[in-house]
Amino acid sequence: MSLDRGVVAELEAIVGAEHVRTAPGDVEPYTRDATPVFRGVPEAVVFPRTADEVAAVLRLATRRHIPVTPRGAGSNLCAATVAEYGGIVLVLTRMDTILEISPDELLARVEAGVSTVALAAAAAAKGLLYAPDPGSRTVSTVGGNVATCAGGLRGLKYGVTRNYVLGATAVLPTGEVIRTGGRLWKDVAGYDLTRLLTGSEGTLGVLTELTVALLPMPATAGTGVAYFGGLADAGRAVSAIISDGIVPATLEFLDAKCIGAVEEYARLGLRADAGALLLFGDDGPPDVVERNLERIGERCAATGALEVTLAESIARSEALLAARRCALPALSRLGTLTVLEDATVPRPRIAEMVDRIDGIAERHDVPMATFGHAGDGNLHPTSVVDQRDEAAIGRVHKAFGDVFAAAIEMDGTITGEHGVGAAKRDFLEARLGSDQLALLRRIKAAFDPAGILNPGKLGS
Amino acid sequence: VTDREIFDHVLLDRCISCGFCLPACPTYALTRDEASSPRGRITLMRALETGTLDADDDRLRAESSFCLGCRACEPVCPAGVQYGQLLEQWRDHQWRGRRRPPLVQVLLRVAERTPLLLLMGAVRRPARTPPSPGGPSLMLGCFERALYPGVSRAVRRVLPDVAVPADQGCCGALHAHNGESKRGHALAERLGEELPGVIVTTAGGCAAHLASVLGTDRVQELSDHLVRSGAVPRGELRVDGRRARVAIQDSCHLRNGLGVSAQPRELIAAVAEFVAVPGDGGCCGSAGTYSLLRPRDARRIVAPKLDALEAAGIDYVVAVNPGCLRQLQAGLARRGSTIRAVHLADLLAAAAGGKRLPRGVPATARAAGRARRLGGSVATRIRRATNRANSR
Repeated sequence: MSLDRGVVAELEAIVGAEHVRTAPGDVEPYTRDATPVFRGVPEAVVFPRTADEVAAVLRLATRRHIPVTPRGAGSNLCAATVAEYGGIVLVLTRMDTILEISPDELLARVEAGVSTVALAAAAAAKGLLYAPDPGSRTVSTVGGNVATCAGGLRGLKYGVTRNYVLGATAVLPTGEVIRTGGRLWKDVAGYDLTRLLTGSEGTLGVLTELTVALLPMPATAGTGVAYFGGLADAGRAVSAIISDGIVPATLEFLDAKCIGAVEEYARLGLRADAGALLLFGDDGPPDVVERNLERIGERCAATGALEVTLAESIARSEALLAARRCALPALSRLGTLTVLEDATVPRPRIAEMVDRIDGIAERHDVPMATFGHAGDGNLHPTSVVDQRDEAAIGRVHKAFGDVFAAAIEMDGTITGEHGVGAAKRDFLEARLGSDQLALLRRIKAAFDPAGILNPGKLGS
Repeated sequence: VTDREIFDHVLLDRCISCGFCLPACPTYALTRDEASSPRGRITLMRALETGTLDADDDRLRAESSFCLGCRACEPVCPAGVQYGQLLEQWRDHQWRGRRRPPLVQVLLRVAERTPLLLLMGAVRRPARTPPSPGGPSLMLGCFERALYPGVSRAVRRVLPDVAVPADQGCCGALHAHNGESKRGHALAERLGEELPGVIVTTAGGCAAHLASVLGTDRVQELSDHLVRSGAVPRGELRVDGRRARVAIQDSCHLRNGLGVSAQPRELIAAVAEFVAVPGDGGCCGSAGTYSLLRPRDARRIVAPKLDALEAAGIDYVVAVNPGCLRQLQAGLARRGSTIRAVHLADLLAAAAGGKRLPRGVPATARAAGRARRLGGSVATRIRRATNRANSR
């Protein structure tokens, strides 16, 4: 299938011929994102430079009923940017200007295609912190982060992307350009459309510009590591730390299988006999960081840690953090298809959930290791199999269905930070209930009467 | 869908499409188009493998040559994709027969004619000693011995014990990177027989290729060899009564393929003031045959690098690969820059009291013109040869 020539000519008139690609080889790299298995072939890939160009493309698409899939860097893990119904993939990476970093207002204004790391670096150059730090921050765009409400390692202390979005410019599928929120911390005029657009996965509008909140850069940061006999002990330590009045910036865990895989891969000298590893860290004034790390260490020891080590230098901190950063690469080398999920449960139930995950994996005969964010209950059960073994892939999907069901049963959710996209659509009703899903679809119809914008994603 | 067996599946299946390679890729930085990124190119390779696209596809053709092959994507890859190997397999298929760029054809044939190399060696007078069984030997390189014969003489000053037998051929890197990986492998093995024992090389690209065949115990790039053997550079390099300020341009394959980047910096810092310049680990655009095949793109790649070098206020920039050396010399000459690009061996030899380095005086227009002619002359000759070959 291909777009008719009139449509292609109109697209070329809007953005310029060199920014419209239709040849099979040109669109092939845009058939997938970072999500395994999912693939969709667009008829055109279009690279707009301005919100007005986006508006003109969307008006055309609505008029001609052409599906449009907005895309940033394509680093999402829920197939949110796969063009399942063909049509146009709208790539926003040309819109990459940092418009403003304002130290006196503590905010930044950026175009949607600016990379997360570029925003963080520009803020840091003025002594400011852009707090959200999703794992893909070196690749991802701010627009993509907002569209998926990206999380990261600092969720407990600093929250996630939605806590930093002050305002957005969005182009509606019918071509209107709206500005929601702005440079204000207080603003209750109208529904909170900024929050509605945040995490909407490109189903309601195309984000073209964002205003985000910044924080003063913390003076220093420190890290420590604790080993436990099992995750239950580590879970008790997490509860003890937080009820002691400490909100650490970092609180990450690896299960025994992850520790084994990381050690096999990176030889960091991790304890092979440990059932769980807890990585903790804090940032702020030096005396506060030092005191908090000591107290966290004491809490870990009191709840049965086998060993607690505080990093005495930044270099040592980096080495400890490497253990956590290595988790995914270490696991992914065990096979050729890595399915990384992010079921999330209330914080005190992490150990119980990991137990259930292990049981589910055993029942379905799939390998599954779990690491994640102990501070906010966001787990990353990860399954690695051979991409040519279809039976194993089928078992993995069944197992994850059970994992999601278990998470919901425990007052948790099917996805904490990756998003629903196409990948978790089938589990959304179980999480939201039919009434809420129906409302979600009515909201979608109000924004997008022709149903052209990222159709089918996020249950829409 | 049936697989065409163009690629080794173990390598091709490795990529998890996370996109972490995108910010490391120089060509993606130029275009911001996924197709010009490592992840996008692997998606294209997979389409070629499954038959979704044919080798005649314009985008496949364009990307197979637009890729620098610098392998900057490898160290940042969490999944351990061996992109360099995939690129070799891709070009083996993509550049078969008439699809191979004619210029590549000429270069490969020149490089494998040992008599021709020996003749170049005789005319340009690189270092020459009898073979020394048991000791390390210096690899002369197919084109380096003709373009930069002084480099091997400088190595002899720094490493007096190294033997430089004249009777040695090409290492085959050129072939491996340009669609003839089997031939490249065979040439590396032949060179391994011609130079028994440890092979020291002054070309990062050759080092990585040769080591992939003969192993890193036998193949050691100059800086790696010096640091491993505990050699301490002698002397000091001074300019205008002060320690010379010296930056480096890494060789991509040396850095990304063999992980050698600290060693040359350590050696420079021993004889001069080492200046870290932003981007000094990124590709200069020389990239083997790239600057000959795609001169415009090669210049786009090198431009920001030249800006950074000039902003750093340095006297010399050191290269550890002849291609990079030529690319930097040509680029600096085009700008009439006062910075001089030199090979690491030249720098170390000069510090130890050997041949003095060219002075970094402000270039006159005539000097710049001369450098341009020198830099361009080889390419021009080869291009003429290509045209002749094509018209036959």
